[in-house]
Amino acid sequence: MLASVTMDSAGVVLRSSGYWTTVWRRFRRDPVAVAALAVIVLLVLVAILAPWIAPQDPYKGMTLRRLRPPGTDGYPLGTDELGRDMLSRLIFGARLSLFMGVTPVLLALIIGSAIGITAGYIGGFVNTVLMRTIDVFFAFPSVLLAIALSGAMGAGIANGLISLTVVFIPPIARIAESVTTGVRGLDYIEAARASGAGAISIIRHHVLGNVLGPIFVYGMSLIAVSMILASGLSFLGLGVRPPEPEWGLMLNTLRTALYTQPLLCALPGVMIFITSISFNLFTDGLRSAMDIKA
Amino acid sequence: MTIAAASPVQTRPPDAGRPLLEVNDLVKHFPIRGGLLGRRRGVVRAVDGVSFDLHAGETLGIVGESGCGKSTAARTIMHLIRPDSGTIRLAGKVPGTAELSLKAFRARVQMVFQDSYASLNPRLTIEESIAYGPGVHGLAGDEAIRRARRLLDRVGLDPLRFAGRYPHELSGGQRQRVNIARALALEPTVVVLDEAVSALDKSVEAQVLNLLLDLKEEIGLTYIFISHDLEVVRFMASRVMVMYLGRVAEIGPTDALYDGGRHPYAQALLGSMLSMDPDHRAEQAPLSGEPPNPINPPAGCRFHTRCSFAEAVCSAKAPVLAACGAGHSAACHMADPGSGHSRAQAA
Amino acid sequence: MSGAGDPILEISGLTVTFTAGAKPVRALDGVDLELARGEVVALLGESGSGKSVTLRSILRLHPPRKTRVTGSIRVDGIDVMALAGRPLEDFRGKTVSMVFQEPMLAMDPVYTVGQQIIEAIRQHEPITAGAARAKALELLSRVRIASPERRLDAYPHEMSGGMRQRAMIALALSSRPKILLADEPTTALDATVQVQILLLLRDLQRALGLSVVFVTHDISVAVEVADRIAVMYAGRIVEIGAVRDVIRGPRHPYTIGLLSTRAHGGRLTGRRLPAIPGSPPDLANLPPGCAFAPRCTLAVDGCRAEVPSPVTLGPGHVVRCLRTGDTIDRMAAIPMSADSKD
Repeated sequence: MLASVTMDSAGVVLRSSGYWTTVWRRFRRDPVAVAALAVIVLLVLVAILAPWIAPQDPYKGMTLRRLRPPGTDGYPLGTDELGRDMLSRLIFGARLSLFMGVTPVLLALIIGSAIGITAGYIGGFVNTVLMRTIDVFFAFPSVLLAIALSGAMGAGIANGLISLTVVFIPPIARIAESVTTGVRGLDYIEAARASGAGAISIIRHHVLGNVLGPIFVYGMSLIAVSMILASGLSFLGLGVRPPEPEWGLMLNTLRTALYTQPLLCALPGVMIFITSISFNLFTDGLRSAMDIKA
Repeated sequence: MTIAAASPVQTRPPDAGRPLLEVNDLVKHFPIRGGLLGRRRGVVRAVDGVSFDLHAGETLGIVGESGCGKSTAARTIMHLIRPDSGTIRLAGKVPGTAELSLKAFRARVQMVFQDSYASLNPRLTIEESIAYGPGVHGLAGDEAIRRARRLLDRVGLDPLRFAGRYPHELSGGQRQRVNIARALALEPTVVVLDEAVSALDKSVEAQVLNLLLDLKEEIGLTYIFISHDLEVVRFMASRVMVMYLGRVAEIGPTDALYDGGRHPYAQALLGSMLSMDPDHRAEQAPLSGEPPNPINPPAGCRFHTRCSFAEAVCSAKAPVLAACGAGHSAACHMADPGSGHSRAQAA
Repeated sequence: MSGAGDPILEISGLTVTFTAGAKPVRALDGVDLELARGEVVALLGESGSGKSVTLRSILRLHPPRKTRVTGSIRVDGIDVMALAGRPLEDFRGKTVSMVFQEPMLAMDPVYTVGQQIIEAIRQHEPITAGAARAKALELLSRVRIASPERRLDAYPHEMSGGMRQRAMIALALSSRPKILLADEPTTALDATVQVQILLLLRDLQRALGLSVVFVTHDISVAVEVADRIAVMYAGRIVEIGAVRDVIRGPRHPYTIGLLSTRAHGGRLTGRRLPAIPGSPPDLANLPPGCAFAPRCTLAVDGCRAEVPSPVTLGPGHVVRCLRTGDTIDRMAAIPMSADSKD
């Protein structure tokens, strides 16, 4: 039994730890997860403070100084194929890459949860209709689906966001439906029904609190995937268009320097790698911390 | 096959007024779906014609083995599951109609479930869980919390120590007390206890049973006590109903049944209680084999395939709940004069 | 009871601590138990009593890295704690075998019952498949399963609860073990089926001369099958003795409490049950001294200071309590024997 209650000498409960407090305490004990969280926070700060910390203008380049290796005077990480400072482009790239990673997942969480929770709570025919429709989309491999949708709509950030959101709605809806169905069968829902509560009240007070947690964690694990997919779209010429700094796009445009300046080429890839692995480790740690066995 | 409706006269003790709860011919079947399109392949006859009355202030025990339908019957009476047919009346009014809304019915009939942990929302504090029901019925937030704290005190949990706790911080016995408090929050008249003490340790079970008795006296509750533990039912119940395969086998005062029921199944079931006496150990099992499947119950009397007194009439005709004593009926041809069974006493 | 000399099972000073969680949990504390040949001993207790842990320790079923086990277990002269590898595998299932509470969980759902019994037989005995099948058939008839031929080819989920338990017993007996361990085998069964299985176990035990350790939380079940009863609380045996002595003359306050609660049988209807106050112990936070003291109406300071040593009150009747002087005849107020049945 978790003794997460603070009592004074008279046994009066001063502060009873809620679920999330306990989860945070457990999470804190995992050094890997905490380090991952720190990296994420750092990246977000870099993205927010980009205009102030980037040494140079990411859009301005001098062709004369193209493809300088890292360590060149004035260009700590070298320059890209148009002579722009790599460090500044990577810093500014954090903005777009994180944005393309997080936004579709957030939108998909809202839409997918709504669909999944409704299907899970109502059950029966409604569930079948909703979930089988979702399954049709789920049948497509995510990469193909993203490319197909982006290709049909055309390049550009907005279209990239839309296609990625559509890609992530089915898996989230599935998780939401599955978790909701699990909770739906528990006795405390029956007890709530037995006290005369209507469906809306039950969903609000009893279902959401127990269901949003796992859905959210699953969604977070998709951020890394979303970033990579967005990078992939940019790489293929869909999604983000030049001259915007975005890590995936940078990988594309630096391709030509693969044999002459391989280190330069790898840098955006390294950033994608660090970010996605941090998100993955963070969600792993969060999931373990949430798995409280009373 | 005739399924006769039980006349309420048979089940009522001689001096009682109108029953608090009247259940007549309750039927609930669950379809079994299979195949490509999920078409109906068969039915589980979970509850197949159950009738009984519940009188104010009594404790009616319901016993029976796997597949007898007691839990389904309880949930159907609570309207958590919709009955296929049959009527339920609370103080003469039918719930779900103009005379008694379903919501009002729910406030008067509450249930305590077996699994103390699954019965409580792990994200709400204890007092929030208890205050939820009254809140749904219109009680203001802080008034609901006040009522929750009073109830916690009433069930033996100090509100100062327990109100703000979460379910996983409590022991099984404490959680079950919370469930009882939650059931009482709507100030019901009838409480259905579905194996409410079965998952508790014996030492804790006695405490909770005592609490239930105290509450019943103080508040004037009426209980339906469902359990597989025959000893506990004997202690708690004034009347007992024995169910078999979705039907009522026998119903009557506790002593009458435990001292020697009239239905062969009731006799066998109650005769399976262990003696607690090392010098009087069981020598022979009262019943061999196992309860058959509620999907394809035997024709006529459901029990005839395992009954040592079965005759031709038993497989041909389903028995009626016939009176065999004051407030005591058995659904057996042997108890029904005129049924055609050789052992039936002449009228 | 066969009058053979040395006990077939000797447990001495068994202490088991689980080290996996935040705090170590001491599940057993110095358990001493002897089982004579052909005898049935019941381990009676509630949650946290350590009864199931004791059984699992005999078979060495606890994960070695998360468990600290000290003390000795000897079965028919074999030092169980020293076994490893092949000898340990042979020991499990052949010398000592176990019947579990939930047969659905203990049997493999993708093999038929017959296949599992045959596999168990052939693991411990070099015989042909055909001979093994014949033996399996004989075992199923022995446990009184109707139409054993058909049941051999049935899957566990195709059988009813009682039949599965009979099959489980057949499986456990297939290697002709010397000791049978039963972990709440009838708890999950209906009342009418429970009687059948208990009678079956009793008959088999008599016929085969099995030595049995029977774990249960239900006193009436213990009374039905046991020659001796050991009452356990918080990892210790608090009272042990012949079944008549323990049931008719219990001397430990916990045993008295348990029996008083159980003595309803209709006689207490309308009154309140004598209930043991408090909750079952938290094994990660046991008090020094007697673990039952917080709930005991007779507890004195000496009880809380240190764990009471065993006191012998009669032949084979041993109690861990300082207050046995005040527990004589406490049960007399509540009649114990059941109503005489027809």
